[in-house]
Amino acid sequence: MDVKNKISRRKFLSLSLVGIGGISLLSLGALNKKPISKWRFFTENEVLILDALVEQIIPTDESMGARDAGATNFIDKQLMGPYQQFQKDYRDGLKLLQQSSMEKFNSKFEELNWENQTILLKLIDKDELKHSHWEKGADKKFFSMVIRHTMQSFYGSPKHGGNKNNVSYKMLKLDTPIIIGQNRYK
Amino acid sequence: MNINSRYKTISLILSIILLFGLVGFGSFYTYWNSASPYKTCASCHEIELRVESHAHSSHQNLTCKDCHGTALSNGFHSLKEKGMMVVNHVRKVNTENIRMNEEQILDVMNNCERCHTNEFAKWKLGGHSMTYSHVFLNEKHNTTEQINFDCLRCHGMFNSKSVDEIVEPLKNKGPWKLKDKELMHRSAIPCMACHQIHQEGKPVSQPDYSNPQEAFYKRKAEKPSLTFFHRHEKININVVDLPKLKLTDNNREVAVSDDPIMRNCIQCHAPNAAHQAGTSDDRTPRGVHEGLSCMACHEPHSNDARNSCKKCHPPMSNCKLDVTQMNTTFKDKNSKNDIHFVSCTDCHKANDPKLKQKMMKITRI
Amino acid sequence: MKNKHVNAIVIGAGAGGGAVAKELSFAGLSVVLFERGGWAKYDDVYDDELHSQRIRALGQAYGPDDARHCRVIENKDGSTKIIRPSDGGFSEVAACVGSGTVSYGAMAWRFMEEDFKLKSIYGAVEGSSLSDWPISYSDLEPCYEKAEWEMGVSGDETQNPFSPPRNKPLPMPPFSHNKEALILKDAALRLGWHPFPIPMLRNSVPYDNRPACYRMRTCVGFACPVNAKAGSHNTVIPKAIETGNCELRINSLVSEILVNDNGKIYGVNYFDADNKQQTQSADVLIVSASAIETARLLLNSKSKFFPNGIGNGNDWVGRNLQGHLYTGAYGIFKDEIYDDFGPGASIALCDFNHHNEGIVGGALLANEFIRMPYQFSEIRPKGEPYWGLKHKEFQRNNFKKVARVMGPLQEMPNFNSRVTVDPSVKDFWGIPVARLSGERLDADMKGANFIAEKAEKWLLEAGAEFTWQTASKGKGVSGGAHQAGTCRMGNDPKKSVTDPFGRVHETPNLFVADGGLNVTNGGFNPALTIIALGYRVGGYIANEWAKGNRFK
Repeated sequence: MDVKNKISRRKFLSLSLVGIGGISLLSLGALNKKPISKWRFFTENEVLILDALVEQIIPTDESMGARDAGATNFIDKQLMGPYQQFQKDYRDGLKLLQQSSMEKFNSKFEELNWENQTILLKLIDKDELKHSHWEKGADKKFFSMVIRHTMQSFYGSPKHGGNKNNVSYKMLKLDTPIIIGQNRYK
Repeated sequence: MNINSRYKTISLILSIILLFGLVGFGSFYTYWNSASPYKTCASCHEIELRVESHAHSSHQNLTCKDCHGTALSNGFHSLKEKGMMVVNHVRKVNTENIRMNEEQILDVMNNCERCHTNEFAKWKLGGHSMTYSHVFLNEKHNTTEQINFDCLRCHGMFNSKSVDEIVEPLKNKGPWKLKDKELMHRSAIPCMACHQIHQEGKPVSQPDYSNPQEAFYKRKAEKPSLTFFHRHEKININVVDLPKLKLTDNNREVAVSDDPIMRNCIQCHAPNAAHQAGTSDDRTPRGVHEGLSCMACHEPHSNDARNSCKKCHPPMSNCKLDVTQMNTTFKDKNSKNDIHFVSCTDCHKANDPKLKQKMMKITRI
Repeated sequence: MKNKHVNAIVIGAGAGGGAVAKELSFAGLSVVLFERGGWAKYDDVYDDELHSQRIRALGQAYGPDDARHCRVIENKDGSTKIIRPSDGGFSEVAACVGSGTVSYGAMAWRFMEEDFKLKSIYGAVEGSSLSDWPISYSDLEPCYEKAEWEMGVSGDETQNPFSPPRNKPLPMPPFSHNKEALILKDAALRLGWHPFPIPMLRNSVPYDNRPACYRMRTCVGFACPVNAKAGSHNTVIPKAIETGNCELRINSLVSEILVNDNGKIYGVNYFDADNKQQTQSADVLIVSASAIETARLLLNSKSKFFPNGIGNGNDWVGRNLQGHLYTGAYGIFKDEIYDDFGPGASIALCDFNHHNEGIVGGALLANEFIRMPYQFSEIRPKGEPYWGLKHKEFQRNNFKKVARVMGPLQEMPNFNSRVTVDPSVKDFWGIPVARLSGERLDADMKGANFIAEKAEKWLLEAGAEFTWQTASKGKGVSGGAHQAGTCRMGNDPKKSVTDPFGRVHETPNLFVADGGLNVTNGGFNPALTIIALGYRVGGYIANEWAKGNRFK
């Protein structure tokens, strides 16, 4: 009894002493911790361009648009998974889109007003963007890919990172999760 | 001599190592259990989101370990798990959206009981406390309907395995057995099937009594904290985001209560795909009780509806029918007065002059 | 450890292979059933559109996987392209136990009597290797019946005046129509056509210890959560295994058919789940790996006795690759016609399968399975934008107002539409991959336009305010999930690969039992016909075996 008590008291003392030391040390470490980016592949700058791009593809109206529904998050996530093959396309494509924007409007794409963003994208869509750094047809190809992925993010299952709170299913008045009964035994 | 001194040295070194080890571990452990979660649990960015949501939940005054315990509270399993998190982190394995497994869910659930003793007891008495053996080894059920993948939508929803890995055979010819005997007594519908503990909310607080008006008449209704655990998506969906049931009874649209909590019930107690009233497991009130929420009669945790008639009806009705003596249960197929579907004419003759008089009165009011 | 010699090897646990394995194991033969994939589960995908077998955006739900499989497409100009299973044009058939019968739409069509003798009825077609089948409809009728009763088909063929004669009605009543089908039914009747509920390999009432369908939104492209959809994985294969005579060897890919020093086929080499090469020997072998993979396996099995591949002495293996040219129309209705009563496809008519003026063959017409939101985002009439606010509004306004009517056009067999093995591209295991080449014929284009017009007419009569046809984007390489024709059956060994029982002409003990046998592919989804052929081939071998024939 006595011995046990002694040990536990000694243990308690030492534990608390070193514990306090540990707290101070680890807190210092925690203070120095850099904030971790929530993006897996994209840089913050790329996110700005892509957010603007996906919002053009599915704009906000009476219901949420692609940006707020997490399209960029979806693409970011898939690029580290099944869409690894498209990493380079995004890295290059976003850079070139920015260059085209600078060239045509002397402004960053994400800072262009809505109409000018649309004008630029329509040129790309019609394959009419003339003076440019893109290889022939590469701009349209890139844009088509982003359209495809944005649609997947917005109209696919939210578990892949987009379609926040089933926003598109609500928009389409599609019960999700589906209400359906089982076959009951009698 | 020599041996003795060597023995002494070794034991001294060992003691020192042991002491340092103990002290090191102890300090770490003490630290872990006392510091803010942002400096401990949430310093693993995988958990950051969860800690964030917890800080805005009605359980915000509890610490992580109040519910989740510590790395030691469920033995080797959790130590190994935490260890693997570090390994995976270093290996850059995608640990996004980590979730508790079913065992951990049930461990946490035991901690729910500490505070919510009453609710827990009611749950235990009610229809949702079934275990795996109750659900999957039920001979009556299994001989008439084959066990299938979708059973896990509403039972055993936290199990990471698919149904054929849980029970065999998947046929209506038994005998059935659970592949893992440990599952026998495991709860198949734990608290978290309907409750997301980190759901946004405020801790319970007293009303502001300084202004009695405010306190009793102007209290804001909180968003319901209830969620449906969607096994496929592995997310909890707040009931307000669940679809509302559209139900038809022979082409007539049935009025369904707007109570969002009922949407949770409907996810499992649902009609067929055509949403025809009374099919599959639909018990949406029709007849005289049309438009009522399930919750109007059923206690949420025990699901008990006994004595709930009295909430609205006098024990002896004005027409001298003792409703408390009626067989109103849905369980009895012969019940003419199933509370879910009972209509006026089930108890009163269609041409009953007394009833007519009464209906007139009601219309006049 | 050496594998024990067995009586029969069946390669591929799909529509054909399942039926064969069941027939043989019930007859007491010891069977090893090879499947390159594993067991598919509903839980693998749930109702996730982006993983469904139809969309494949984030990968193949039930295989084959992109990492280990590929094919080569040869364009008309001779240029080639390597494609992965999740790319369009791969012509994938799922790699899992049950294969296509796990995630198919489960339409259960019998071919019509005419489908077995197209050449006799219509004469030669320019550029086509068209021929009659060596068997008639009545030869296959008992096998159709067996397929319908052993696997379970719902429907009522008496409502279809074009239905071929049958001895026994279908075992289950037909499904009730959804809202869209009811509208289409009235319209078809007004046009004097003959609509009826689609026969389905899906339980309308509990059958064979499996529950009735509870009419999910997601069906085609997905596994069934309640096993109401019948596939070989939940019917014939479990029954074969239960006899104790059939061993299912999953995740095992057969790479080569082995020939001994006397020129006799005696077994196969395969890669097991650990990618270790093993050998299995047997008295008789049945290849049911799907039209493209069966041809690839035969062509890859070269020896001094079969220098061009087994059965390929006359260069017929891999020829006549056919699929179906899907053709039809979309229509936008004024009011919502979508009632979320799955799986969508519900009503059909066979008025245009045969005897259309100027057209050889034809196609059934049916309404389409439910299109999920992502798939719908790519469906627009010509000139409608594919992005932007207008696109979103179209999606919102029309998702529940669009119907599609379409049909699988019977393609004319074409000697130059073919499967070969690529000289250089190999898969994960080092096996040369299939190369698909050739293109469809002008006759197919003509038929496609004809059927699309009829589809549009039906939609307009039903009240669609705006319609547009989806005939074809061009001739292209044939194939698809309905792939057929690569191991044509026939009486003349010089002009076919197998005899009328599926035995490869040049061999005593090698059989084919899949769509490869189809001389022509009917204007119907071919699953039930492939299953029936499985019963025919399996039944023949079992009978012969009982008589003492050991196929030496």
